[in-house]
Amino acid sequence: MAHTPNVETMIATSMLTTTSGAQPSTLYDRLLSKPGKVREVVGRAEVQHGNILEHNRMVWMLESTGDEVLEATLDTRFLTFTRLGETRWLVSGNLRAVVEYAQQRKTPLTDALVASVKDVAPNVHGFLEDKKR
Amino acid sequence: MKTRLLAHTPYEELRDGFPELDLKQLLPHLAYTFAVEKISRACSHQLVRHRVASFSQQSQRYITVKRLSERVVTPPTVDDSETFHELIEKASEAYQRLVESGVSKEDARFVLPNATETSLLMTMDGAALFHFFGLRLCNRAQWEIRRLADAMLTQCRDAEPEVFENAGPYCYMLGHCPEGRFTCGGMAEALEKYRPDSSS
Repeated sequence: MAHTPNVETMIATSMLTTTSGAQPSTLYDRLLSKPGKVREVVGRAEVQHGNILEHNRMVWMLESTGDEVLEATLDTRFLTFTRLGETRWLVSGNLRAVVEYAQQRKTPLTDALVASVKDVAPNVHGFLEDKKR
Repeated sequence: MKTRLLAHTPYEELRDGFPELDLKQLLPHLAYTFAVEKISRACSHQLVRHRVASFSQQSQRYITVKRLSERVVTPPTVDDSETFHELIEKASEAYQRLVESGVSKEDARFVLPNATETSLLMTMDGAALFHFFGLRLCNRAQWEIRRLADAMLTQCRDAEPEVFENAGPYCYMLGHCPEGRFTCGGMAEALEKYRPDSSS
């Protein structure tokens, strides 16, 4: 339904902030006009250092039963659910929540979450697809 | 100190997409990412106590601190203190000597003071950010983090006035001071200062 902009640019900014000595706003501005550099930096991300994946948020509309949502909330503490109706839910979380949940469980929900980030974070999506194989 | 709101969830899309939900219900689904630059390590220690947030901070394991005396935050109360500036110089010399003698940066940094500048990326959801403003805009908050919170609120109000018009210190948001006997007694001034159409 919505997401913060330039998700992978922010991941690259986050990675370079910790190690480069340049100011984060300068890095972000530079990287906005360098998609190739963003691809290169995100491509060498070590996702076990998960905090680089947290500077974003995605919002989904979910059609699901209460039992399925209960199962999801027991599986991951990092997705936020708001009930909209009997089977409608507003769900949000950051990319780290999606990546870790997808690595931990394979369910119709995790498949749908991974598929939904393809356009927003294509390199991270590619990494998740490679892991599946 | 410098801060900039780099990215945020567009509120309008959620407000229009989910008219059945009010702002309070939508706040946990919104996120705000700030570049926070050239604050002291003392300030960043306070920031990371806000646990419902994400941080990516310049690492002293990887980044060498060059010319420490030019890269410190000096509190106004010690600006002309010889003791303070002498200690910064000594810490700077000790750090350089350790690094030059082959000690790793991760160990040499143990001599660096809390005044050392740092920069970081910080992301908070809307609910956590309102709580941050409530606490850190209070007159009882420490001056550096209060100044930072003030700059962050200004940016948020510019970007999303509808979301942040009611954000401010807790006295402004609640209509009463929750500090009990520690109250600063300046609630009227705070209400005036954070009124959205106030020019201050």
